[in-house]
Amino acid sequence: MVTFGLLLLGVALLASVVSVGSLLMGHMSSEGDGLTKFGYYCTYVAAGALSISIVVMVSAFFGTDFTFRYVAENHSPDVSNLAWLYKLSGLWAGREGSFLLWTWVLSLFAAWIAHRRFRSLDALSNMGLMVTNVVLMLFSAGMLFSNPNNPFKVTPAELLDSSGKLIGAAASWGMNPLLQSPAMIFHPPTLFIGYAGLTIPFAFAIAALIVNDSSKTWIDIVDRITVFSWLFLGMGIGLGSIWAYTTLGWGGYWGWDPVENASLLPWLTGVALLHSFTIYRKRDGFKRWAIMLSAVTFALVILGTFITRSGIVQSVHAFEADPVSLYLFLAMIVSAVLAAGIGLWARWANFGGNDEFDSLTGKEAAYYFTNVIMLVAGLLVAYLTITSALPTWLPFGKHAIPPTTFDAVARPVGILFAFIVGVCPLLSWRRTDGETLWARAKWPLVGAVVIFGLLMAEYATALLPIYNKMVVQTSTAGQKIAEAGPAWYYNGLAILGLLAGSLLIANTLSLFITGAMKRAEAREESFGAALWSILTKARSQSGGYLAHIGIGIILIGLIGSAMFVFDNTYTIAQTPGTTFQVDQYTFTFVGSNENTLANGNQVSTLNLDVSRNGRKIGSMSPGQTTFATTQQTRTDAKVLSEPLRDIFVTMQGVTDSGITMNVKINPLIWFSWSGFILLLLGTGLAAWPKPGHALVVASAPAKGSSAKRARR
Amino acid sequence: MNKRARVRLIGVTLAILVAVGAMVYYTGGKQGAYEGDLASVSKDSSLVGKQVKVGGTVVAGSWDKQSNPMRFTIRGEKDTAQTGPTLKVVYTGTVPATFGDGVVAIVTGKLGSDGTVAATDMITKCPSKYESATGATPIADLIGKGASMEGKPVRTTGYVKPGSIASVGSGDRFIAAQNPDGSGTTIPVTFSGVLPNGMKDGSQVVMGGTLSQGKFVATSVALEAAQK
Repeated sequence: MVTFGLLLLGVALLASVVSVGSLLMGHMSSEGDGLTKFGYYCTYVAAGALSISIVVMVSAFFGTDFTFRYVAENHSPDVSNLAWLYKLSGLWAGREGSFLLWTWVLSLFAAWIAHRRFRSLDALSNMGLMVTNVVLMLFSAGMLFSNPNNPFKVTPAELLDSSGKLIGAAASWGMNPLLQSPAMIFHPPTLFIGYAGLTIPFAFAIAALIVNDSSKTWIDIVDRITVFSWLFLGMGIGLGSIWAYTTLGWGGYWGWDPVENASLLPWLTGVALLHSFTIYRKRDGFKRWAIMLSAVTFALVILGTFITRSGIVQSVHAFEADPVSLYLFLAMIVSAVLAAGIGLWARWANFGGNDEFDSLTGKEAAYYFTNVIMLVAGLLVAYLTITSALPTWLPFGKHAIPPTTFDAVARPVGILFAFIVGVCPLLSWRRTDGETLWARAKWPLVGAVVIFGLLMAEYATALLPIYNKMVVQTSTAGQKIAEAGPAWYYNGLAILGLLAGSLLIANTLSLFITGAMKRAEAREESFGAALWSILTKARSQSGGYLAHIGIGIILIGLIGSAMFVFDNTYTIAQTPGTTFQVDQYTFTFVGSNENTLANGNQVSTLNLDVSRNGRKIGSMSPGQTTFATTQQTRTDAKVLSEPLRDIFVTMQGVTDSGITMNVKINPLIWFSWSGFILLLLGTGLAAWPKPGHALVVASAPAKGSSAKRARR
Repeated sequence: MNKRARVRLIGVTLAILVAVGAMVYYTGGKQGAYEGDLASVSKDSSLVGKQVKVGGTVVAGSWDKQSNPMRFTIRGEKDTAQTGPTLKVVYTGTVPATFGDGVVAIVTGKLGSDGTVAATDMITKCPSKYESATGATPIADLIGKGASMEGKPVRTTGYVKPGSIASVGSGDRFIAAQNPDGSGTTIPVTFSGVLPNGMKDGSQVVMGGTLSQGKFVATSVALEAAQK
């Protein structure tokens, strides 16, 4: 069966090579329809072969077939009722399997495109499919020709006994216990759907350059796929953060680790890409932006894969170095940007677009600055992530950039960005005069003042006291806050951020309210019905605005849970009834237990009661697990959530002198999570396909097109 | 396009770029840490007093999670022979969930003149499937832990002491030693199964089993993967 899997990879590689060849030849010959169709069929063959290979691998996991080396190394010994899920998630628990999953998802996207465009067979779609297949070809080759990436390897015979059990050094092989967490089951596949999907806008941007069609046809084809992919990328990032928060036990959810950054890079430029698409569709502008951003976003997707797989930077879970991956991905990054750059240079005039910058007060300017900030953010984070692998003559070469530097830059830039997002919907196209702006801003301002007032009350009663306690601490956490700048700057920035969040939320909410009021008046329907119509009919716009509100809520959450964390370590006597005070909470030690599980793992837990103002709000039982086979320990952190803050406790250890534990208070962290959910819902609304939205747009050569061979 | 608007647009863009650049330059220059492998960092005296970021395997038994700040020793990740230099670390932050013997810890902090890193940041590498085969505790560390390890299932690695291999039924099957030449800590191994093909004097073996009254009762014996 291992050989069969390998054979399927070979078929997929061959099919994608043949598809690229026949699509290209079909494009160049005048009677190429037959060849072109053959290229489409080959795309289905590649997707079919990869789908079967996935079935082969998954069945090997469910059948515990240890002759597959990958299964032997990544099977989960779990026996809980989630066991079947961990069998499935074994597929993406390791380097080879996740590469296979990435490639398979990409082949599905390619097949979907082929299916949607098969009837029109227009030059633009043919070339878009061709570029997609080039990427698919390189990925298939990357698996077949690099042993570390090859998922279909045989387990050496001496590691298996006659009944197929693992023996010797392989006896302790298996899935990392840290990956056996529900968030980890869904994090990789969502991320890979996002990664793979962002290949499609790139492929069609290159195709638009090849056929020299600067109309919005290619945007119409890839628009929803792009929003959909960006949504999944965002979901993947969110699930990764939840996993880091609940499983890794350091008390935070974002640490600017290279692998985290890797997923954030294309997400940032993706924001700019989506907004360029909007202008492209609605105003016939930002065309060069859209082309370049498609390429840069794709390059950053590959860079992300490259960072995790080439072993060039030290990270939480980077893989071992592998020269094939190194050169393959490096070449893909460089050629993606070069292809778009050279293509754009050749088609410069045709992709000029109708950009109207009359004034900095116009909507275009707000979109423009969104693009500038997101592009700079994406490229800057990318650069700062890989500095330690760069030679010393480059800025920061051979130096690792610590999270504090990322924070120092991200905070003011993020707040500036939130202001732009907050103000943009109040602006008119081209220019906005003061009177109009005031008329639009009046009522939202009242709302913003109310929200800001509430937030400032929380700031004064909870956040500022934490700052004052932390900044005088000699601990690492305290020092980091003290080093982040003088008190007036640190707190001023936080207050500005809360203000930006309030403005953003109030302004955007007001759009829904005024929109629904106008519609209700014009159509004589109720306010509720009008609001519902706006949400369900104008989905791209409503979804976008919901996402904006989500961003505003996230910003408030980030300010609380990243800038005003209370963090201290306590050692208490091991006598039940001992109490200690943490910020506004009183902890009471109730007792501790030691358990040995059936598989030999030892679990020790503490029982704590937590109360505030004399009223009990809950119990917590942080602990430690010691794994029998490896004698490694894992800290089992526990979280107690209140609406406005989380209490996060990790047990550090027990000695004769007492129990040591670390306690963190994470204010407003639920704003981050709930804002994120709203962001996803909004994006999902925008990505939802239009009913009966038939993609036959490309049948006629549209404005600005000089396509040589538009068919039908 | 309106010319004045264009000039302003470019002006504001440049202002943003300059401001971001200045922030990165200022904070990154102050806080950036030299990243190198453990051997080069421990030798390079010019790094003393500077921020460094270095990763290494936590030496078994060198740490105590309860002590605050926590102290431990790391050794080069590829230094399986355990002959290379080590670095002492003093760490003041929250200890990551997976910290423990044999885990790869990546620490960031100031290198002191006594060769100790005063770490302010630490992450532990996910022991992804790759490293799982190398997660065995060296026998010297295992025995060093003493009675607390008695009777617990563990994985350990050592070398076959030259001349010690015996046949089935003769009691101890071979003696595992800390070093390939048979020197250092040794322990007799009992095992009733078939010894792996190609096992010879000085071979590195990975064993699963338990410590029992000064012997290692093995349930599995395999050659270390790198030797195949």
